[in-house]
Amino acid sequence: MLLLPKFDYEEPKSLPEALAMLSELKGNGKVIAGGTDLLVNMKKGTVKPAFLVSLRKVEGLREIGGENGGLAIGSHATVSEIADSDRVGSMFPVLARSASCLGSPLIRNRATIGGNIVTARPAADLPPALIVLGAYVELKGKDANRTIPLDGFFTGPGTSVIESGEVLTRIILPSAPPFTGGDYIKIGHRAALEIAIAAAASRLTLDKPDGVIVDARVVLSAVAPTAIHAASAEKALIGQRPSEELFAKAAALAEGDCSPITDMRGGAEYRRDMVNTLVKRTLLKAFNDARDMKGGNA
Amino acid sequence: MKAYNVINTRLPRVDGRAKATGDARYAADLSMPGMLYGAMLQSPLAHAKILNIDTSAAKRLPGVRDVVTWKEAGLVKYGVSPARYDEQVFCSDKVRYVGDEVAAVAAIDLETAMEAVSLIKVDYEELPVLLDIGSAMAEGAIAIHEDFPGNISAEVHQEFGNFEEALKECHIVRTDTFTNKRQDGGFLEPQACLARYDLNGNLTLWSSTQSVHYVQRSVAMVLGIPVGKVRVVKPYVGGGFGPKAAVNAMELAACLMSRRTGKPVKMVFSREQVFLHSRARHQFTHELTTGVKKDGTIFALRNVCHLDGGAYSSFGIATIYYAGSLLGAPYKLPNMKYDGYRIYTNKPTCGAQRGHGGVAARAGWEQQLDIIAAELGMDPVEFRLKNMMQTGDVTCNDFNMSSLGMKECLEGVRDGSNWGAKKGKLPKGKGIGVACGFFVSGAGYPIYRSETFHSTATIRLTEDGGGVNLYTASAEIGQGSDTILGQIAAEALGVSLDDVRVHSGDTDFGVDLGAYSSRQTLMSGHAVKMAAEDTKRKVLEALSEQLNVPVEEMDIARGVIVFKKDKPDFSRLRTLYIKEHRGWADQPSGAELTFREAARVAFITGGVIIGNGAYKPGELGGKYKGAAVGTSPAYGCSAQVVEVTVDEETGKVTIDAMTDAHDCGFAINRTNVEGQMQGSLSMGLGEALFEEVRFDEKGRVANASLGEYRIPTALDMPNVKTIIIESDEPNGPFGAKEVGEGAIMPTIPAILNAIYDAVGVRINELPITSERLFAAMKEKRKK
Ligand SMILES: Cc1cc2nc3c(=O)[nH]c(=O)nc-3n(C[C@H](O)[C@H](O)[C@H](O)COP(=O)(O)OP(=O)(O)OC[C@H]3O[C@@H](n4cnc5c(N)ncnc54)[C@H](O)[C@@H]3O)c2cc1C
Repeated sequence: MLLLPKFDYEEPKSLPEALAMLSELKGNGKVIAGGTDLLVNMKKGTVKPAFLVSLRKVEGLREIGGENGGLAIGSHATVSEIADSDRVGSMFPVLARSASCLGSPLIRNRATIGGNIVTARPAADLPPALIVLGAYVELKGKDANRTIPLDGFFTGPGTSVIESGEVLTRIILPSAPPFTGGDYIKIGHRAALEIAIAAAASRLTLDKPDGVIVDARVVLSAVAPTAIHAASAEKALIGQRPSEELFAKAAALAEGDCSPITDMRGGAEYRRDMVNTLVKRTLLKAFNDARDMKGGNA
Repeated sequence: MKAYNVINTRLPRVDGRAKATGDARYAADLSMPGMLYGAMLQSPLAHAKILNIDTSAAKRLPGVRDVVTWKEAGLVKYGVSPARYDEQVFCSDKVRYVGDEVAAVAAIDLETAMEAVSLIKVDYEELPVLLDIGSAMAEGAIAIHEDFPGNISAEVHQEFGNFEEALKECHIVRTDTFTNKRQDGGFLEPQACLARYDLNGNLTLWSSTQSVHYVQRSVAMVLGIPVGKVRVVKPYVGGGFGPKAAVNAMELAACLMSRRTGKPVKMVFSREQVFLHSRARHQFTHELTTGVKKDGTIFALRNVCHLDGGAYSSFGIATIYYAGSLLGAPYKLPNMKYDGYRIYTNKPTCGAQRGHGGVAARAGWEQQLDIIAAELGMDPVEFRLKNMMQTGDVTCNDFNMSSLGMKECLEGVRDGSNWGAKKGKLPKGKGIGVACGFFVSGAGYPIYRSETFHSTATIRLTEDGGGVNLYTASAEIGQGSDTILGQIAAEALGVSLDDVRVHSGDTDFGVDLGAYSSRQTLMSGHAVKMAAEDTKRKVLEALSEQLNVPVEEMDIARGVIVFKKDKPDFSRLRTLYIKEHRGWADQPSGAELTFREAARVAFITGGVIIGNGAYKPGELGGKYKGAAVGTSPAYGCSAQVVEVTVDEETGKVTIDAMTDAHDCGFAINRTNVEGQMQGSLSMGLGEALFEEVRFDEKGRVANASLGEYRIPTALDMPNVKTIIIESDEPNGPFGAKEVGEGAIMPTIPAILNAIYDAVGVRINELPITSERLFAAMKEKRKK
């Protein structure tokens, strides 16, 4: 029987109070947001915090607002709020799409974007989309704040550069250049409640609607210890005129960029094949949206 | 068809409010003052000798009240079929799978009990682990059970007609192999129980079970308590599908520790323990050889089946018979030969699950029939219709199709899905498939040899005449039997469903074999109908004396007395009733004599009015060995059409639409019938596309959670078009027969056939994951 171990629970009313509390607790305290990862891991005994610090009473952490032509999303915005937000949907449909395939409707109502990032699962749904969008994360500690690119934030399965006293407060999405489009596709077994067998996010920027590719980002997930760039695919795309042949070539290169394993969800060979399919499909959609400018920012 | 007032309607379920509001209490919700919590020590090894068990540290832990092993529980063997009692409450000499029960603890709380379990020290000597049929049957393999060398837990050899001779007349003969995967029951409520042994030596066990009767007998036998002192009560149950149809070691341990401590003991399975206990669908491997004549007549079938049984027998003896006997029908197949082997392996024990024994066989065969139809150049629907049995036909293995709306089912789904406009005409990647199936409507015999009634029912009227109490030991496990039996009682007695209070799932209420083999509606329904008719007769006889109207000239319907001829003057009775109930708000009024007044008269003249019913099947066919498995008073049947989209670049199958027709004889509650059809389809869809219990190389379940063991979500289910066929079963109450299990039969093969129609590949191994289908398509492209 998986029983939740005993722990203390605090609800500080302000961020400074929370940061002071976490700093004092040293490694013994953990932030709890939706709890959809943390409580499961506590039941399994893989993490054993003595204190849980909830930020639900701290104001402003759930806001989704404009920032320098882009967006700033509070770390405690729920995944369903992001999936349903008109603003996210029109400016960054890739993010809305990735949010709408996380877990199930019930999980999405509790799960937060901050939790999805800090938990650093190799198959997490939001990071690939956020990385192709060039997202930054704002980290606040008791004595120092920093804003760093999400690209490079993850160091391995379950690990990242966040330090134990730090809180992720906001995710910042810079405005995207014109003629940019993107897509996110996840492959799982069921229509809901699936951890990705493989997933890919892509973003393309053209110099003009019928022009060449000036920026290309292809991020793969569940096929390496963390979400990774398909670097050779990206390189092959930049400076080229988009075509189905080009995308097929990039997709084939992406297969070589990943290092999938065989586990219960799928075999390495299948995952590699799916990387090909997903890269091809996401690039095609990205291109169509970029050309039509349908995708707003991406 | 005859007009009814209560049945053949869409009345809401009697337990609907309680379940929707959370008011319903399940076994895990129960608690009692002074209650102890139990936990079990289960083997971490798949096969090992037990050298020593040291419980001293566990006993010393503060808060621990009892620690038991085989020394306390004894060595009584139990199981499902008396011929194969091969389990003990706790292992004594060796453990046979990861999860085999070794000891149990009762303590003041669950944390203490679990800690104590971790303090029990067991010394094991590891033995070779046999995880599949191949290694278990290999020359020189160690015997998992000493009495069963070669690890054959059961074998069956049957031949009806003459297979070899029949082949000579066949134009097409083909052999295919088909295999499914071990399934989990996937019910939402893990098993849970609360045992209380009182000061007078009476034991009450509340448990999440499908059969209070079988559990009662097993508890009495294993713990050596007179059966009259054992009462088993089933609270609300959140699904069973087979695995809860027999006693489990947790129930026995809770009873044992309650007897020893004098305290109530509660125990609950974790989800992982549900997987370890298992008793769900076996992995079947069928080699099927079918012979068909030039004109499309299905003429011969040979079926060789191997079952991976796991460590013990459970329902497996029945399973291995069903895996043979449930082919043949619904087609007129004159020659059938079957060889079945159930093999012990060092894995959790398999048992019965919805569509017991027949689902994989049906899937493999209906796919093969599709291949043959194509070879003959016949439309799959036409091919099936040509071979279809009809009402009154008897199968080569002596199953009497006393009603069979199979043709109506097949025509129903053909027309309901617009088959003609779609078959062979859909774009690449989209496909349509059809399949048929049938199932027993209640096992013809109890699981132990006995002359017992299969179901009894008692109705007791309240003394004021206002209430009808129905007592039955049948098991409402979510399938809706309380509602169905309440409706049958109300209809047969002539009152409304609101007037009936259904008391069920308690051995004190009578004998009922329980909810398995799709038997509650037909068998318990008969008993309830008889009890209601008995009650009605008693009321009318009393009334007859008072009013001087012959019984035959009266009836009860819609809560009032129907006088077939002249209505007599009953004012004396009414005045009497009103006088007795002065000041009451709901006095009878109006021109009709109410049931309430009549029942009151009956009470006053004769005491408490009690009606009784008891049912067992009449003479059934089959004199050959094994005929007891598969013979039934009636058979339900069904056909389905499934439409799919296959993503050729990922292998992903999306089920776009399902059209399902089921012959349930007569629908007591139309909504409930549709609910069972939809539930069966969902379970079939899961087995077809997702579900597989997996093991690591040490025999540990690798996906013992509903996160990694995938049952379909609501979003995976397409809209289902349900078509109810009513063939009026002569052996069923009001013509009713099963729908609970038979409806699953065509689902998997219809999906398989639709996938072939979409992308031209045949899959012979379940589940049809995207990966498996993608690999098959890749392979085909290479060729
Ligand atoms: C049934 C189920 C299905 C799931 N399906 C998916 C899926 O399909 N895709 C997917 O990506 N994930 C899935 N998950 C995982 C999980 O729901 C997500 O990762 C979710 O976004 C986590 O968010 P949370 O708010 O619940 O985080 P929590 O569980 O509260 O926290 C997760 C971790 O992040 C830390 N943390 C949270 N917020 C902050 C913060 N602001 N600052 C610093 N640290 C913080 C916590 O301390 C903890 O270590 C699933 C989980 C379950 C239970």
